[in-house]
Amino acid sequence: MSTSTTESVTVPDPPADSRVGRFVWNLRYHPKRELWFAWWVMVIFYQLYGVLFFFVTRVQPPPSPAWDTPTVVGWFDDHSLGVRAGFGVVFLVAGMCAPMNALLAYSMRRMSVSRLFAYSYLIIYSLAAVPGMLVMAIAMTVGALRPDRDPEMIHWLYDFAFLSFSGTMGVFMIGSLVYLVAVLLDKNRVFPKWYGYLSLCNALTEVVVAPAWIFHRGAFAWNGAIAWWINMVVFVLYTGVFIVLLRKLIQREDFGTGPLPEAVR
Amino acid sequence: MTNLADSQPRLEEKSAKFVPGQPDMWMFVLFETLLFTGYFSVYLVSRTQNEQLYLQSQADLDLRIGVFNTIALLLSSWAIARCVKASREGAYRSALINALLTVSFGLVFLTSKVLEWVKEIHMGNTFTSNEFFQHYYFLTSIHCIHVLIGFIVLGVAVYQLWSPARRSQQLVETCATYWHTVDFLWVLIFALLYVVR
Amino acid sequence: MKRTDGELILFWTLPVVAIIWVSAFLLFPGFLHPMSPTMSAEEVAAFYRDDTARIRYSMILFNWFGVGLIPVVILLAMQIRRMAHRTPILSYSLIACAAGPPTLFLIANMFWLLGSFRPDRAPELTQLLNDLAWLTFTVLVPYLIAQCLLFALAIYWDRQEKPVFKPWVAHFNVLIAVALAPAAFTALASTGPLAWDGLLSFWVKNIAIFVWIIVMGIVLGQTIRQQRALETVAA
Repeated sequence: MSTSTTESVTVPDPPADSRVGRFVWNLRYHPKRELWFAWWVMVIFYQLYGVLFFFVTRVQPPPSPAWDTPTVVGWFDDHSLGVRAGFGVVFLVAGMCAPMNALLAYSMRRMSVSRLFAYSYLIIYSLAAVPGMLVMAIAMTVGALRPDRDPEMIHWLYDFAFLSFSGTMGVFMIGSLVYLVAVLLDKNRVFPKWYGYLSLCNALTEVVVAPAWIFHRGAFAWNGAIAWWINMVVFVLYTGVFIVLLRKLIQREDFGTGPLPEAVR
Repeated sequence: MTNLADSQPRLEEKSAKFVPGQPDMWMFVLFETLLFTGYFSVYLVSRTQNEQLYLQSQADLDLRIGVFNTIALLLSSWAIARCVKASREGAYRSALINALLTVSFGLVFLTSKVLEWVKEIHMGNTFTSNEFFQHYYFLTSIHCIHVLIGFIVLGVAVYQLWSPARRSQQLVETCATYWHTVDFLWVLIFALLYVVR
Repeated sequence: MKRTDGELILFWTLPVVAIIWVSAFLLFPGFLHPMSPTMSAEEVAAFYRDDTARIRYSMILFNWFGVGLIPVVILLAMQIRRMAHRTPILSYSLIACAAGPPTLFLIANMFWLLGSFRPDRAPELTQLLNDLAWLTFTVLVPYLIAQCLLFALAIYWDRQEKPVFKPWVAHFNVLIAVALAPAAFTALASTGPLAWDGLLSFWVKNIAIFVWIIVMGIVLGQTIRQQRALETVAA
């Protein structure tokens, strides 16, 4: 059974004068508000992520796996407050990933491929944040919690955090592959084909991080020139690109202001 | 309904003579080349800091195998180029044979690469032996991953050429572009790892 | 006649799961006077040695039923689909949040169980496991906060003649989200309300979750019942 859910509220015209007024109007009446909401959550999340990981907690760029135990303990001492406060904010806002993944899954629903892709992507990326971000946050926080803990244990937590962060990229790799296959097969041209190929590059860089599990120093360590720096450049570029492409997608959507779609039972 | 992402399909078809295959693939080529340039730069920088070690380790590599690999891939590129030409002329049977020839040469390359790795490992040079071999295994492995993806891409080309219902020239050319890139990257790796001393 | 589609069956698992959770909560000796982060390694080791059985059985119960709430969250996501929205974004978002809290909870659960597995381990190691467990348990709030806020937003944006949920449900969810927020910062204090045994990070957070389960359970049940009554009338 489905009820027709036509808007019974007549939509007033947007106010032409104040910005606040228009913002409020957008929140209440804009036909694409759900999409814009998700898009803005994504943009704000990435900015927060950058600030928190690079400046507050300073876990990026990562310190070296080659450090000896006293240096690691010293690092925790210096960064203790930043780590605990910064990751506290992460523990508050990590849920912002959900609308972001929802938007990407929605973009796949607009494609001509099966719903399977959208749902797979949603699950894969919802999962990805646990080992790839939250476990690191937990391990780092516990590391900073007791400065008088056995230094060997602090060193273990340090390894646990950074390896969990860098070394669990398999999830993102498979997610990227699902996405890229969807983009390349799509006949609705939701995204340009070069974006599919870019996703391939991104997926391959997830593979490139794997040697971080093996090396303590050099280009392939978790802070290495190849395993971190080049990867970070690709990641930032890729993220920037899909933020822009999603924006264009939302702008192209033309729901109009007609009757709403039939509610799905 | 959603409008189309790029409303230039007709333009693409017309300028097929200018830009073989999808223009998007060329973006990918550009990006991969930039990425590999990054990897090569890291290799070269770390080489300057450790010249002796690198020279010594490079001596363990057999130049002949490197040359053989290069020839195999060059032959495969030649085959796919013939395939594209045949397909353009409508000689689909010949195109199909050439595509399969490309795959064969690719397999020759892959097999010889694996055998080379086995040989090096027997000699005691593994991924973790020293910095040079880190880079060696890394560059050759990531190249091999591209070759494996190349097989999938060639599979798409073969699939297209097989039945008259498909045969999109653009798609075949796109696949060829990818394969040429794989060959091109190998030539660079060969030069860097085997030749430059 | 509506054919049995199992939704009501899964819905009625909610009170059962809630009762089991509360029982396990009371059984675990470390909750009813929550363990302090200032306990020394020896004290923590003594805790795991003295009360090993209660720790193990309560945590095994939690382990079995940790994901028990997911069907209910999905039922809520399905209710969002009936709202006057133009896209499935909000229901997708809720689904994306659903697996987060149980996953994090099960990690904490694992650490508690590990701590109790070899109680005669070196006290520092037991303390490490205990820290990991308590911290994970306390900071597992982000997806719960997101769930509440997304649900509230969905209700605010559901503008139709008969909205699926009344506005107070939305306000309630916002309130719960606010109540859960302080727990994220528990690492900043080892005593006081923010510490993981403190008023905000322990009592307010866990009571908020409990109240949410009860209230949303009742509201969801009423909504489903009304919807089915309408269906039978229409059919």
